[in-house]
Amino acid sequence: MVGMKIAGIIFSPIIGVITGLLLTGAARKMVARVEWRYGPPILQPVIDLIKLFFQRPPSHGKTFDYGLIASLAGSIVLVLFLPVGRLCPLSEGGGLLLITYLILIGPLGMALSGGEGANPYVSIGISRKLILSLGYEVTLLLILLSVMSEYDTISIFNVVRAQSENGWSLFSWPLVIPGLAYLLILPAILGVKPFDVASAPQEISSGPHVEYGGKYLALSKLEGGLSEFIGIALFVNLFLGGWSIPGSLHLPAGVLGVFLGVLVFLAKVAFVFSLNVTVSASFPRLRVEQAVKYLWSWPAFIGLVGLIIVSAL
Amino acid sequence: MDRRQLIKWLKEPLKMSNKYSLHVVYFCTGCGIIEIPPSITARWDAERFGVKPVATPRQANLFLITGYVSLKTLKPIIRTYEQMPAPKYTVAFGSCPIDGGMYWDSYNTINHLDKYIPIDGYIAGCMPRPEAVFAGITHLWTLIDEGKADGYKKYRRNYSQYRSNQERLYGELGWPPRFETEGLENE
Amino acid sequence: MSSIEEKITANFDGIEVRKIEEGRIEVKTKKEALLSTLNFLKDEGYGHLGLVSCVDRIEEGIFELVYILSRYLVGGEVAVDQASLIVKTEVPRGNPTLVTSVKVFETAEPYERELHEMFGIVFSGHPRLTPLFLERDIDLPPMRKDFDTRKYVEEEFESIPPVED
Repeated sequence: MVGMKIAGIIFSPIIGVITGLLLTGAARKMVARVEWRYGPPILQPVIDLIKLFFQRPPSHGKTFDYGLIASLAGSIVLVLFLPVGRLCPLSEGGGLLLITYLILIGPLGMALSGGEGANPYVSIGISRKLILSLGYEVTLLLILLSVMSEYDTISIFNVVRAQSENGWSLFSWPLVIPGLAYLLILPAILGVKPFDVASAPQEISSGPHVEYGGKYLALSKLEGGLSEFIGIALFVNLFLGGWSIPGSLHLPAGVLGVFLGVLVFLAKVAFVFSLNVTVSASFPRLRVEQAVKYLWSWPAFIGLVGLIIVSAL
Repeated sequence: MDRRQLIKWLKEPLKMSNKYSLHVVYFCTGCGIIEIPPSITARWDAERFGVKPVATPRQANLFLITGYVSLKTLKPIIRTYEQMPAPKYTVAFGSCPIDGGMYWDSYNTINHLDKYIPIDGYIAGCMPRPEAVFAGITHLWTLIDEGKADGYKKYRRNYSQYRSNQERLYGELGWPPRFETEGLENE
Repeated sequence: MSSIEEKITANFDGIEVRKIEEGRIEVKTKKEALLSTLNFLKDEGYGHLGLVSCVDRIEEGIFELVYILSRYLVGGEVAVDQASLIVKTEVPRGNPTLVTSVKVFETAEPYERELHEMFGIVFSGHPRLTPLFLERDIDLPPMRKDFDTRKYVEEEFESIPPVED
């Protein structure tokens, strides 16, 4: 079991980073196909990363460097607490409550680092990002509360195990209601097109990333891919049953089972991500007050109704 | 296009990644900027070559100067060029940056852009169509392959000369600050 | 209801009004009477100053200033006669000074700055006659006919040496 744990600590951040990068590349290709273009190769983000790591940009001070590293480190720690398939190295230690705290470290480190750059676009982008997270975090907390009270646990691992026995919670009454609310706020959590107010390249010159070039941009791209992966992985774990396959099929025990579990999990992640990409390719960007208005109306209402029904039953 | 040849990637990753990941900052001078929207959108789709517009010079490594350069716009061009991180390439559009074009006797248009910043390639035409832009970009690939697109090294080597040319136009340039030129010549 | 041409000739002495073509009326006024003419026309509904421009008539030794006015509404209703007025006045080249029209039309401010920069016309009473377009000081204003652009370009730009390794 200890070997399993060490393997999880090593592999789950690597899986997260690679999946995040490939998903970004696939998203660029899919958006291109929606717009009837040929599009870049799927490995284009990897090419960009190689180029960016060779460049030597100027630094703007110590906080500029360490804030970015803290943000990346926060996301990596967060991945360790999420079950990636059956790889879940630290799942006993934490739970959904811990995740609600850790999910803030990424944007906070980015804000620290960008503030040192002293570009006015950075502060606009950071304030937009915080306003947007104010919009979706109420709903996210309502959803997490309903899941916790339905399964009577704060451990994600137990939630996934219960789903592998009783069926996915997205297709079970009454958890379907918070599931729908999560689907509605998922684009805002990922920061994709209708909700990319924080990093709008045409308005505020890509917001918090405006002073990043070369290595810094590479690190922040890794962080962006990782946080996209985290947003979807949380949804897949809570509502799509993590590693479990529908029906009476069961994964074998041992290393093969772990491997197959990761594959099933990544397939679900890719499916949910492609749903979001289709949304993002077809809608224009909202203004920040329109985004908050949307987030506080339907998703928050559905989340609240879900919580009431779940706790009443 | 040798983008899929793994051996080349392992041999010279710097060169290959610079070739196939050109992040572009456009400088909207003159009439050439009108050729950019069709070349990056659905009709001609520059993204299949890895060419992607970015919003700030810090993230870019290709600088397109799209048309004549007046005295007033040369100053931001110098600033933008100096903000870009090191392996960087410049391409100028049309005949005006080459020798002034139809503005060759204007009191307010500088005639030879390469006296003030190094230019790696020119795309001829008035204005070049998107096909010509792509021909220019693919030619820039061969230049990068052969190591001839070394304008940024030339700028470093002859920095004092470029700077004195710039200051003959503007007097004392307050910003960008002078580089430390010692020790940079050998890189 | 008299037409605008008749009104102008009735109110000002020594003013020439000529209809160039349909929709364009030329008004030639004296330099001293320019402000009062503009004021009168603004009261007649010509509230839109579209352009202030200048022609360098070097043979006659004058600068000809051109103000283009149009009107769209008269008393809240769409004007029947929407002809543009082209108000012209002359300034001697030797002493190009004129009183500013910013107090009548605020939109004249950038145009007059430009004319000051490009032709060297001094508008007395203008709030800020600072450089607008030019990056550097040029001895002779560059839009004057006796400014030799080719000589200027050769002296200023062509003399800069190309950078060679």
